[in-house]
Amino acid sequence: MAKKRILLLLLSVVMILTVVTACSGGNNGGNQQGSGNNNPSSNAGGNTGDEEVTQEPVTFTFFNAGASREDVLTSDTDIGALYAEETGVSFQIEHLVGDVQTKIGTMIAGGEYPDVLVADTEIDKVVDAGGFIDLTDLIEEHGPNIKEVYGPYLNLMTDEDGSIYFLPFSPQVGEFVPNPVIDQGAFWIQQRVLKEFDYPEMTTLDEYFDLIRQYAEKYPNEDLTGFTSLTHDWRFFAITNPANHLAGFPNDGAVMVDMETLETDDWHNNEEMKRWMQSLNELYLDGLYDETSFVNNYDQYLAKLTSGKVLGYFDYGWQVNQATQNLRSAGNGDFEYFPLPIVFEEGITDQYIDPPSFIHNRGIGITTSAENPERIIQFFDYLLEEQNQIRNQWGIEGLTYEVDENGRYYRTQEQIEQLRDNQYKQDVGLTYFEYYWPMWSQTSTLSDGNAHSPGRQPEVAQLDFTEAELEALSQYGVNTFSEMFAAPADRPWYPAWSIALEQGSQEQVYEQRREDIVKRYLPRLVLAEEGQFESEWESYLSEFDGLDYTEQYEEYLTTKLKEKVEAISGE
Amino acid sequence: MQHSANAAPAVAPQKSPKASSGTKHFLKMLMKQRTLVLMSVPFVIWLFIFRYLPVWGWTLAFQDYRPGRSFSEQEWVGFKHFAFLFQDDAFYRVMRNTFAMSFINLILGFVLAITLAVLLNELKNIVFKRVVQTISYMPYFLSWVVAASIIMVALSPEEGIVNQVLVGLGIIDKPILWLGEASYFWGIFAASETWKNLGWNTIVYLAAITMIDPAQYEAADIDGANRLQKIWHITLPGMKPVIIVLLILNIGQVLETGFEAQYLLKNPANMDFAETLELFVLRWGINFGNYSFATAAGIFKTVISFSLLFAANSLAKRMGQERLF
Repeated sequence: MAKKRILLLLLSVVMILTVVTACSGGNNGGNQQGSGNNNPSSNAGGNTGDEEVTQEPVTFTFFNAGASREDVLTSDTDIGALYAEETGVSFQIEHLVGDVQTKIGTMIAGGEYPDVLVADTEIDKVVDAGGFIDLTDLIEEHGPNIKEVYGPYLNLMTDEDGSIYFLPFSPQVGEFVPNPVIDQGAFWIQQRVLKEFDYPEMTTLDEYFDLIRQYAEKYPNEDLTGFTSLTHDWRFFAITNPANHLAGFPNDGAVMVDMETLETDDWHNNEEMKRWMQSLNELYLDGLYDETSFVNNYDQYLAKLTSGKVLGYFDYGWQVNQATQNLRSAGNGDFEYFPLPIVFEEGITDQYIDPPSFIHNRGIGITTSAENPERIIQFFDYLLEEQNQIRNQWGIEGLTYEVDENGRYYRTQEQIEQLRDNQYKQDVGLTYFEYYWPMWSQTSTLSDGNAHSPGRQPEVAQLDFTEAELEALSQYGVNTFSEMFAAPADRPWYPAWSIALEQGSQEQVYEQRREDIVKRYLPRLVLAEEGQFESEWESYLSEFDGLDYTEQYEEYLTTKLKEKVEAISGE
Repeated sequence: MQHSANAAPAVAPQKSPKASSGTKHFLKMLMKQRTLVLMSVPFVIWLFIFRYLPVWGWTLAFQDYRPGRSFSEQEWVGFKHFAFLFQDDAFYRVMRNTFAMSFINLILGFVLAITLAVLLNELKNIVFKRVVQTISYMPYFLSWVVAASIIMVALSPEEGIVNQVLVGLGIIDKPILWLGEASYFWGIFAASETWKNLGWNTIVYLAAITMIDPAQYEAADIDGANRLQKIWHITLPGMKPVIIVLLILNIGQVLETGFEAQYLLKNPANMDFAETLELFVLRWGINFGNYSFATAAGIFKTVISFSLLFAANSLAKRMGQERLF
């Protein structure tokens, strides 16, 4: 670490010297350098007490446990290079490989962190271990934009001990813009199935599975898989959550929440769960359920979806994005998937779309290992400027977006095509900057009325649809996917899964034990032989009852939800 | 400085003559072997720092340890974490899997490696011998991550070679989801362990065989012994000391075997048979941020390993065999 710092110091001295010689050599040449020629010699002297923001190049380390993608030095991307030029700051971003709990757990045990950390699901542990520094004073001193953007949420962001340890990703600025495409949960079905049966209206699970059955019957020789699920590691909620969604609840995690009383109900041992599991089991007995669901890892699952052999699946849009994009750029409309708001019964209103929410247990924090938190917080503050929010979401004008004469932002067909290529998106830097930084919520609106997130700008969304998607949308008489879905009801506590459980508490142990049981029984239930389902379900229930903590767990969550609602309405 | 140097010899004679001669003897030996002693010092220091100092960390097992707090601020909870370990139903399932897979591993590892070593030793064609040896120990250098992917692909019901061959030969009529059937897991584990480690394990036995005095084989030739008799009466007894020492060492590690293979090959469908003690500790200890629990499980493992090691050693002693100490 020390060696690295010395190297960095040396490097910065060399670079400053180069600037000095370049300036003195080129005379007026340094004009467009902006603040870069702002008497660099004083910087070399070690920025002695000068209030002026220092431009000294510096690279911070950033570990992002929220995503798995290529590691990057931000200044190697187009957007990152702009930032490095304007502020001197760049980040070496390392992404998660493997298991998030192990990775963060090891960091905590060793007490050594990167400068900046997105710990994803493990954020409470880092807070608990004192891994993050308190940002309150730093924000007071260096963060006017942070104060403005996050101001309304300070109540929710402040830890019990009065400190602010991280900045969440979802402060709403301006009007709320719904997402025209589905990035949340949905039952997806292949376009060719819809086309074959002339785009039928579907509401219930039975109708959905029937259509898949009919299609598979019609084409018995194509080696088709009716339905597949994702069960790998922590992502296994993708196979259990439908039990909750099908009953008309949003993704509140492990519980259904009563809208009036805020009573919570763990649905893992409910009738809904049984009904969902049994439907899958019936599909399996018909030879249409993909039994490799239980042995595939995430990559194998994505590969399977991309193969075009799978007729339907349930998952969250953000989780299958990679497969979706690959399918769309492959250009065979038949293999693309269309999202549907499926429920158990006619009359249940679907609640797949997230209500507006502030997720206060995910965020980005500065760790105790950071030696220059001021520079980082200044950079965070700078990122929250509208101009940089536009860069992070839209990219660079003329390259990844255009502005028409009315000031509306749009993308040309060509730009959209280009951005479908993951590598290109990475090179521009959008992949790295559009999320996991201090930011306005992606549902925000810019001051000139444009959507903060290009995906939510109607001009872009329309152009982004593929032919098959446009055809299906017009058949169903809607303009966007979200119009197929019911509007989300107002749920101020949403989402219940953002309630933090205390480390080592009974609630946490309960959740882990429940996960064990559910995980072990999923394959036994879904892949039960003819006539075995009932007995498997009985033994599942009896093991579940053995946990003997469900009631206390529900009570705990109810109390916490009530507190959260009070904190929000109390403002 | 000078004072103490003078004082030392003055004190020594006043102690009892017996002790003084013992000390004298010790000092004399020390002087004589001073180079050896000096050479060992760095390693003793290393051993102390890396093998004994960490034992201090065992205190964690009796606390509700929170990182970032000083030692005096930790909360002491007695045997809470041990109780949690032994009271969990999953613990017994996990112990069963650990022991089962370890013993499969131990027995296959010994029997097959010794057999292969003896067979290789009998080969007259050096080129063939080398080729076989190289091929058999190559997989050892694959990381488990790669090996597990290979195994997963080979066992896949769709394009896996195992299913294709079995279906092609008419042994099974439709592909089997090998990794999805919990009861197959031990078999799959044993096969993959063998494939990966067999060649490597034979190396030490081959070395042991080269230590055997060729005169014994010559004598056996004169007595008219055939190949099998020579293997049985010379090669195997000649390897015995090595086999027993390795056996004792391996028995001490019964609880340590198997982390990567199980971690990478497990899935919800075969968890019941795949989860070992180490995975259990990873899940409840590290993943949960519960370092105290992980430490308690670590202590438990050490105690078991220690007793197994001593048991195996004293058994060997009683049977009059070579032993570790």
